[in-house]
Amino acid sequence: MSPDTITLSSVQNRAQERFAETGWPAKKSEAWKYTSLDALASASPQPANDISGAVAMPAGIAGEQCRLVFQGGLFRDDLSDALPAGVQLVMLGEDERALAAIDEIGASDNLVPRLTVAKMTAGISLRVAQGIVVDRPIMLQFVGGAPATASHPVIYIDVGDAAHLAYAEHHETDNGLSAPFIVVRVGAGATLDHIKLQLESATTQHLGLTCLSLGERADVNSMSLSLGGALSRLETHVRLDGEYGELGLSSIYLGKNNQHHDMTTRVAHEVANCNSRQIIRGVLDDKARGVFQGQVRVAPHAQKTDGQQMSRALLLSRDAEADAKPELEIFADDVVCSHGATVGELDETHLFYLRSRGIDEAEARAMLIDAFLIEAVAEIRHQGFADLFSPFLSGWQVPRKG
Amino acid sequence: MALLEIKNLHARIGDTDILHGINLTINRGEVHAIMGPNGSGKSTLSYVLSGRNGYEITEGDILLDGESLLEMEADERARAGMFLAFQYPVELPGVGGMAFLRAAVNARLREQGEDEVDQLGFVKLVRAKATELGIKDDMLKRAVNVGFSGGEKKRYEILQMALLNPSIAILDETDSGLDVDALKIVSEGVNSQRGPEIGMVVITHYQRLLSHIVPDFVHILSAGKIIKTGDKSLALDVEENGYTDLMENANVA
Repeated sequence: MSPDTITLSSVQNRAQERFAETGWPAKKSEAWKYTSLDALASASPQPANDISGAVAMPAGIAGEQCRLVFQGGLFRDDLSDALPAGVQLVMLGEDERALAAIDEIGASDNLVPRLTVAKMTAGISLRVAQGIVVDRPIMLQFVGGAPATASHPVIYIDVGDAAHLAYAEHHETDNGLSAPFIVVRVGAGATLDHIKLQLESATTQHLGLTCLSLGERADVNSMSLSLGGALSRLETHVRLDGEYGELGLSSIYLGKNNQHHDMTTRVAHEVANCNSRQIIRGVLDDKARGVFQGQVRVAPHAQKTDGQQMSRALLLSRDAEADAKPELEIFADDVVCSHGATVGELDETHLFYLRSRGIDEAEARAMLIDAFLIEAVAEIRHQGFADLFSPFLSGWQVPRKG
Repeated sequence: MALLEIKNLHARIGDTDILHGINLTINRGEVHAIMGPNGSGKSTLSYVLSGRNGYEITEGDILLDGESLLEMEADERARAGMFLAFQYPVELPGVGGMAFLRAAVNARLREQGEDEVDQLGFVKLVRAKATELGIKDDMLKRAVNVGFSGGEKKRYEILQMALLNPSIAILDETDSGLDVDALKIVSEGVNSQRGPEIGMVVITHYQRLLSHIVPDFVHILSAGKIIKTGDKSLALDVEENGYTDLMENANVA
């Protein structure tokens, strides 16, 4: 296929054909065995026709930032800030490389790249020029929506060689379905800081896929929080394509009531000498359910890989449930890889120690939950992002009945 | 009024009866030692007094300043003035030491209707008390008890006691795991807190702690009952003759 045949409509047509072919995941599908989309498939929320008007804007981080606003999956230029120097924004249809990358991902069997590209109204492409250190974080803010509607934002981000970018995703919509598809290429020697905040309404289903590729000596520090929504799946695929790549890919999920949080990661070490580190922490109360699926694949020639993955879930209620499915597929022989998954409750001895010092039960529990999460929180490298992130953790906790 | 009154206290864990009718009255200013062999119910007594879950009181009562503690949770008892120095202080990874100490002190102050301490004043207070106990600044910055040696943990317990200013302190085998030097520092820390307003219960297997923290009364606990009460010379008897004679005499009686 020559480049001039790639257009937005050709990519979208292919996605529509692919989605028509595969549809929603079957019940027996291995990748979706813990997360059922049956309710979503039957409700089938559709993109809204009219997207306009004012929208409530969530709080950002202290200091300067560049907000890019998406309503119903559409980029609202009129509500967005001017871009920092060295960053260029074009509509997705004008960026053939972005279209090619998106099309290629959609070729493999995966739900979001097919569904979202099939249904998207428009997408954007952001480019950070080579060597540019972007002077303020970019905040992608997803807002608005209605229970009967779906949003399908598609965003391509290219961090040029030796460039530095920090971007945050803030998902706080009232959609029936939010299904963002984000593709990020991190160039050689480039640095990326990222946080994702999933703060959707209590009835929203959120299916997000982020695909990252890292060039030689690229350095990515990513943290996701899944807090809102009725059902959510935050899926991240990473390819370490250049030697000496560094990946920190951590996440926290906090579930209450009947919430369902699914954190799925797939990390592919394609070349030698890369490090990946994943710290996952989940806290589940009431009848909430948490799922962690983490696949680490080390290709045959990816020697000296260091791949670490540790998932821990804390159950605050007897009706809460956590499932973990770590998968290591190692085809190289000179690697250091480890994974672990634990599920536990608050330690009665720890609680008693705190309470014996006069600290009441609610505060003691809150202190122990904070302590459980702190190791993951400490993974956030970008100070502004850490400051933005932490209040959601303390805000999640409410005093419990004794 | 007595500070702490333990009246005919019976307690069990699951189906196992452990305490079989303990009677003990502690007045302000007094230090009582409770000695006994392993399995006599010493630690159970300390947990029952401090309100740990999992113990069932089948008979009797515990009164602090005339008020029954039985319906009070551990944290309520602590705020009312009860302090337990743990035999095995608990490590709390991720819980910052200073935040922990401040939460505890503020909980007690709120209960007493006093203002909470401000951060700066609190840090100064903690440092001053810590220095007296030979606790280094670096230890205060760590997570609670994490990476502390056995002796450091015990000193940290005594630091908490100094900050919380309890009316009744129960020291559960505070001497276990301490070398001679650490024992001396910890004992000095405890002794510096003795006074006319506080009552202390020192639970120990061995006499050696009691030559540093000299008790006013010594009680021998065996099979969940106090079988003998005396003054500090009783502890020396135990040291010399062991518990066996005492236990046999109690059985005969």
